[in-house]
Amino acid sequence: MATTEDRVVDASEVAAEVSRGNLLTEEMVLNVGPQHPATHGVFRLLATLDGEVLVKADPVIGYMHRGYEKLVEARDYRQITNLVSRMDWLSGINNELPLALALETLMEIEVPPRAQYMRVAMCEMNRILNHLMFFASFGAELGAITPTFYAFREREDIQMAMEMTTGGRMHFGFFRPGGLKEDAPKGFYQQALKGVRQVIERLPDYENLLIGNEIFKQRTVNVGILPRDVAYSYGVSGPIARGSDISFDVRKDEPYSGYDLFDFDVQSAPNGDCFDRFWVLLHEVVESAKIVEQAIEGMPDGPIMGKVPRVVQAPKGEVYVRTENPLGELGMYLVSDGDRRPYRLKIRTPSYSNVSALPYVLKNTYVSDMIAILGSFFFVLGDIDR
Amino acid sequence: MPEIILTTWQILLVKVAVILVVVPMGALVGGYAEHKVMAHLQHRLGPMYPGGFHGWATTLADGIKFLFKEDIIPAAADRKVFSLAPAAIMVPIIMVYLVIPMDRTLVVEDLDVGIFYLLAISSVSTIGILMAGWSSANKYALIGALRSAAQLIAYELPIVLSAAAVAMLAGTLSLNGIVEAQNFPFVLWPPGIGLALFLVFTTGAVAEMTRVPFDMPVAESEIITGPFTEYTGMRYIFSHMFAEMGHMVAFGGIGTTLFLGGYRPIIPWEPLELIPGVVWFAAKTMLMIFLFLWIRPTFPRVREDQLQKFAWKFLIPVSLALILFTGAWVLYV
Amino acid sequence: MALLADDALRRVDTAVGNRLMEQRVNFGQVDITVSPENLVEVVTALRDLQFLSCKFFTFLTGIDRSELTDEPGGLEVLIHLYSVEHVFHVNVRVAVDPENPVCPSIVSIFRGAEWQERECHEMFGVEFEGNSNLSNLFLPEDFEGHPLLRSFKLPSRFVKAWPGAKDPEEASAGGR
Repeated sequence: MATTEDRVVDASEVAAEVSRGNLLTEEMVLNVGPQHPATHGVFRLLATLDGEVLVKADPVIGYMHRGYEKLVEARDYRQITNLVSRMDWLSGINNELPLALALETLMEIEVPPRAQYMRVAMCEMNRILNHLMFFASFGAELGAITPTFYAFREREDIQMAMEMTTGGRMHFGFFRPGGLKEDAPKGFYQQALKGVRQVIERLPDYENLLIGNEIFKQRTVNVGILPRDVAYSYGVSGPIARGSDISFDVRKDEPYSGYDLFDFDVQSAPNGDCFDRFWVLLHEVVESAKIVEQAIEGMPDGPIMGKVPRVVQAPKGEVYVRTENPLGELGMYLVSDGDRRPYRLKIRTPSYSNVSALPYVLKNTYVSDMIAILGSFFFVLGDIDR
Repeated sequence: MPEIILTTWQILLVKVAVILVVVPMGALVGGYAEHKVMAHLQHRLGPMYPGGFHGWATTLADGIKFLFKEDIIPAAADRKVFSLAPAAIMVPIIMVYLVIPMDRTLVVEDLDVGIFYLLAISSVSTIGILMAGWSSANKYALIGALRSAAQLIAYELPIVLSAAAVAMLAGTLSLNGIVEAQNFPFVLWPPGIGLALFLVFTTGAVAEMTRVPFDMPVAESEIITGPFTEYTGMRYIFSHMFAEMGHMVAFGGIGTTLFLGGYRPIIPWEPLELIPGVVWFAAKTMLMIFLFLWIRPTFPRVREDQLQKFAWKFLIPVSLALILFTGAWVLYV
Repeated sequence: MALLADDALRRVDTAVGNRLMEQRVNFGQVDITVSPENLVEVVTALRDLQFLSCKFFTFLTGIDRSELTDEPGGLEVLIHLYSVEHVFHVNVRVAVDPENPVCPSIVSIFRGAEWQERECHEMFGVEFEGNSNLSNLFLPEDFEGHPLLRSFKLPSRFVKAWPGAKDPEEASAGGR
């Protein structure tokens, strides 16, 4: 049995300690991951345990580092779109948006309204897909295996809508600087509305299954509290931050791609524990569904591509563009040298900053709480490691 | 037909042979039922192909598959204890079946101390789980084994206390006697107390079998399979699958015997006596098993310390109070 | 409500103008350059002063400007902060000597800087004084070199040039 120190303890020593009223204990270092069912990918956590209590938690990342920021320096802007959607693979199309926006800002291209509405519709549908996926996995980690199947059933219709338009179910490659690759096919609107309305209809049932459950509440209320200032200091954003009494949302604060034309609320919860983060996640699904409905019902006609030169070449300059990825604030800092390839592209991913707050939140929690907290932090490894 | 006269020892051997066939069969059927019930509760179909019709041979196919798996023992593991642990878990469960009466005379041995024997023997498998976890040389297995030991000890008490209350109501410790004393099943009469006792027993049973919501020791998403993480092939089947399914069917049978009236019909109405006792027993046991299976996909997992609090601060005081009420009932009613 | 970038620049100027080497507005965001000595003071002021209140730590990274076609520069550490209350962004640049890249650490001001400085250290080689844990974050322990520096060439690109067509015209004319 491996232990932290190779100290051989004599039986008489143990007896002496016990007779004095002390229990001789040792801390154990438990390696959670990189292969573990609860860690959403190759994430390793070096947990120092004292019985069932986590004294210290040290995340080790980088098992999936693919060197995106170096790879994009050798690629055309057209090639980067597909590369970038493989970061946060659960919200495929949201990853492509900041890149397109950054190029449009530097090249001063105007995106036609139809393209903007389509972009909003697809991004929000992807948000629903992402949130339903985390709904499924959070339940499964806590032992409730049923919500997984219900959530995946709901995702199917929306994914069919995405597939009929873009050809992909997970990685889309659909946004181009200036607009979209092609227009929506026949039947897209009906399919998208059907999927989205089904989600709205069935969501209260799923809510009751988990949120109304006494055991679930015991496992998540007051567990893993992230205070507001700590969240700011680490740069935590997205539904995780909004569960800590923060109500910022890039779509409301600095609207992009026509988000200011839509009517939706920013959900936020006061306590900052696992329950609140999960609650925010579920309620954001309803908001996204509302946006999709508004976008599709109000879709203007017109071109789907702005005036883009043949060769996509950004003029010299630097810009930072940020969007609201389902998991938080996704930003791209693009330094362009006037070439067809970026000079330097810094990708600011939400999960990276969110996960850096884990050592703080995981201090002095139980092993089972660690699982609940890891589940409630909604991270995707591709996003952390890039 | 020439008369076959067998000595008592030969009869005993035949009965034990029957049990050794019945237990795996029960485990197989229980496993298949679990797949199907869970699937339908989750809006899907479950296994459909093995065996042709709705996948009836799933668990059989699983068993055969496991026969072919490589038997791996970790290098740092304690070989003797590691190999003995599945036996230490499985044997007490099989021994429990020896006293469960499936009909008036269909019981291996009608012990006078039936209940006592049953509860004592079933708690021996705790040691088996501890052996499995400790000898695996794996920290996850260790955590699972320690959680398991704490949980099984804590939840023995509600089962024992509610069984004691039933013994008081029946006036005997023998299982046959308890069934005979149930003109109306104990869950219905004494009203209220019987139902409460049944609920306490069921909760304790679910925890004894380390099933959701009390499956912390085997919490799949946290510590993979807890004490059985390092077990492969047939050892895994014996220590985990067989044990859990066998346990479930056994507790179903015990619950039926103690509370639902065993092999007797639900109400003492003449025409119902025509249906053989085995059928009644089977139907009631299947109902109990369905209850256990229903609970699994519905609830998340209770955390270890909350689990312990629930046992020591709620279930045990409640069962003690119920014993008081049962005693009062027996004396004055 | 969102602050106009010029207003934000004025506020920043009032607060720490004398410590800045450069200040401008770039695509709607405040862009300031400081020297390493003044970094901690400026960032603390940006965070703590009420009318600035840049409490949100967005990212910290490096930019190697050595291969820019006009005005090639040296190594630069870029810190991006955001004010949640007043809704404006500040890009803080610190010019770092490429021969001896040293920069003070802002871990004591923003906790999130710990991991981001580790990444900057392993990717660019910048030593952050004050951050005690500068081990590799993404790369394996035995990795040699600092990948995001322009002098570190991607082996596959170095050995074999991109075989496909570089222009849409070439592709339609038969290039792969």
